[in-house]
Amino acid sequence: MALAIVGLLAPSHPYAALSVAAGQILAAVNFFFLEKFVKLFTHAALTPVPGEAASARASSLGIGALKIALVYGGAFALTRWNRLELGPVLLGFSLPLAALVLKAAMLAIMRGVSPAGARPGATGREARPILPAIVAGVLLFGMGGMGGTAGAAMAQTPAAHGGTPAHVEAAAEHGGGEQHLPNWLTILDDWFPKNPVVHWMHENEFLVFAWLAALVFFAIIFLAMRRDTTVPGWVQNGIEWMVESMEGVVGGMLGKYTDRYFPFIMAIFFYVLTMNLIGIIPGFKSSTSTLDVTLALALITFLYVQFTGIRNLGILGYLDHMAGSPRDVVGFLMLPVMVPVHVLGELAKPVSLSCRLFGNIFGEDTLIVVFVGATALCLKASLVALAVPPMLGISALFMLLQALTSIVQALIFSLLATVYLYMMLPHEEHAHGDETRAHA
Amino acid sequence: MNFAATLGLGLPIGIGLAAIGSGIGIGFLGQGAMNAMGRQPEVLPKIQVAMIIGFGFAEALTIYAFVTMFFLQGKIQ
Repeated sequence: MALAIVGLLAPSHPYAALSVAAGQILAAVNFFFLEKFVKLFTHAALTPVPGEAASARASSLGIGALKIALVYGGAFALTRWNRLELGPVLLGFSLPLAALVLKAAMLAIMRGVSPAGARPGATGREARPILPAIVAGVLLFGMGGMGGTAGAAMAQTPAAHGGTPAHVEAAAEHGGGEQHLPNWLTILDDWFPKNPVVHWMHENEFLVFAWLAALVFFAIIFLAMRRDTTVPGWVQNGIEWMVESMEGVVGGMLGKYTDRYFPFIMAIFFYVLTMNLIGIIPGFKSSTSTLDVTLALALITFLYVQFTGIRNLGILGYLDHMAGSPRDVVGFLMLPVMVPVHVLGELAKPVSLSCRLFGNIFGEDTLIVVFVGATALCLKASLVALAVPPMLGISALFMLLQALTSIVQALIFSLLATVYLYMMLPHEEHAHGDETRAHA
Repeated sequence: MNFAATLGLGLPIGIGLAAIGSGIGIGFLGQGAMNAMGRQPEVLPKIQVAMIIGFGFAEALTIYAFVTMFFLQGKIQ
């Protein structure tokens, strides 16, 4: 299908076709490495010999570095090359991505969970819930790549066209409209105004911060998994507590499907959580406060849910589900009404998911910006003693609130993904489904 | 009354109306959840999770208004 698109485009828009092809090659390289990663990590976690596991981890680090250099370097080179249009690159990148993410997820989960669950003795029960989380961490790289790329393309397109959204940024520079706190990328851009790398990073700062969040989370998981002991340290303990409590909540809803879908939900949870929380640190920015990143995440969830529905119900069952499962005359009479309602309901899911996350995080950021701005104003008017202590107190209070919102929003995003999955999955009989829902 | 003035009047009112709706919704949700928790403290975690999800849905409506406000805010000039 993707090749067909390239062929169709080739005569009229040669560069666009080239871009699509380049995006596809990029995606293929990305997933080649991703699969290597998954294999290595599941292998490393399963081998009982410590030396072998250590060497596997070392080589995984090497492969990781190579992957980052190749894929993101490639993406970077593509964005620098002006002849390429970014929209088509994104299209080419995301076409195989959707299918491949799902395939990689399935592969990883099948390989990861089932042997680990059956593994006797050794590290025992504690190790099991962590394993999906590692796989989740690996998947994060793919998601970070996609979310970031989508964001980059969207950010650059209006800038290139000089279209309507550009005036917002211009307004921000003139002190009106949307306000942003400066972060270290802004400072870097001020220091090296001519450096194209720094400028690119400044233009796509949320992309950089999304990668950073993925890296930070990856480092934390690596730290927690380095010594997989029965008596865990506080990092491992904390991660295990989070994973286990989430497993309880998700397991209450999904039942026997928990093992298959838990890693996906957990990946989303941790990724969103890290991206949200990173914004609290002064000089950093939450990637989730741009609609591009949240929309990418929501689209991944949406595609995954639809794919799950088709996979579990079959094509006919899926269509039946979309038609509201008509079983009697009234049901068939209601068909013309039910189908649009269901389709619209499905389409509303990614919109509401992305807007909710974006709105919350963006709102919190704006609140803090307003109060920091007020503090700065008071400083300018030399009202230090009068105004700064209460202002700082209020800012600190809102930062606490932001931490709370970050956690709750990450929880809501992942739990809603669970609910959507649950609604797509087949239930044995109606009474059982109702009972599960009552318990959830 | 021109476009900018209409926006300048309408956006805050719209957000306020949305917030009223969300507030009522969250209030009902909280009431129900508190009642349930009081009756059956042993299922407290499950009720809390369901309550938080419900809050998310109710709160989303105000967030939509908020996002709309930010998209249209630049046109008030």
